[in-house]
Amino acid sequence: MVSFPKEEAEALREFLAQLREMMIDDSDPALRPLKPPARPDDEASEIEYREMIDDDLLKGRLEAIEIVESGIDGTKLDEEGVAAWMQSLNCLRLVLGERLEVEGIDTETLDDSTPLVGLYHWLAWLLEQLVDAAMPALDANG
Amino acid sequence: MTAPTISPTTITDEESVTDLDKPWKVIVWDDPINLMSYVTFVFRKIFGYSKAKADRLMMEVHTTGKSVVSTGPREKAELDVFRLHEHGLWATMEHDS
Repeated sequence: MVSFPKEEAEALREFLAQLREMMIDDSDPALRPLKPPARPDDEASEIEYREMIDDDLLKGRLEAIEIVESGIDGTKLDEEGVAAWMQSLNCLRLVLGERLEVEGIDTETLDDSTPLVGLYHWLAWLLEQLVDAAMPALDANG
Repeated sequence: MTAPTISPTTITDEESVTDLDKPWKVIVWDDPINLMSYVTFVFRKIFGYSKAKADRLMMEVHTTGKSVVSTGPREKAELDVFRLHEHGLWATMEHDS
């Protein structure tokens, strides 16, 4: 079960909307960690790989955001829901982490007074909760 | 490497062998953003590894900078890399030599 105070739900909704726009626009350098190279040793193969998967990657991520948005005001998560939440929260963290790094902000200093660092740590906390909640199911599945 | 290795079958001259038949390594690289617990979770989810094995691979990534997380034919390696990318991990693939 996920549920948030109204303010946090609204904040998350807003950040997800921004992430969606960024991903569709596809020009912000902070998106870099969302598309790591598969074949850094071979330019032609890398181009081939990107052509093969970039659309699917984007489609999956946009679908995940939609699932999160539809349950943001409180929902019980099934397996697909957990995956969508993890994927979306992690995308947000990756993009935010990249931006903070680019801006030279040390995320290890725990300076939550910087709004973006506070958000970054909040997302980490949320993601940890999801991982803790989902791990036992993996044990059950062997 | 603590990752399992697949013993290549002996290749004779009669067999027609293309690059696609050689085993590929899927490597996950350390990054400053992904959470350790999340990386372990992803290894377990994607590959069905035990918690012990997934933890070991995750720690190898964390301490040495990278780890071979799977090996196999090209198509499987591509799928593994795709699934790792889907989950936001920094994965690459290369030929086993």
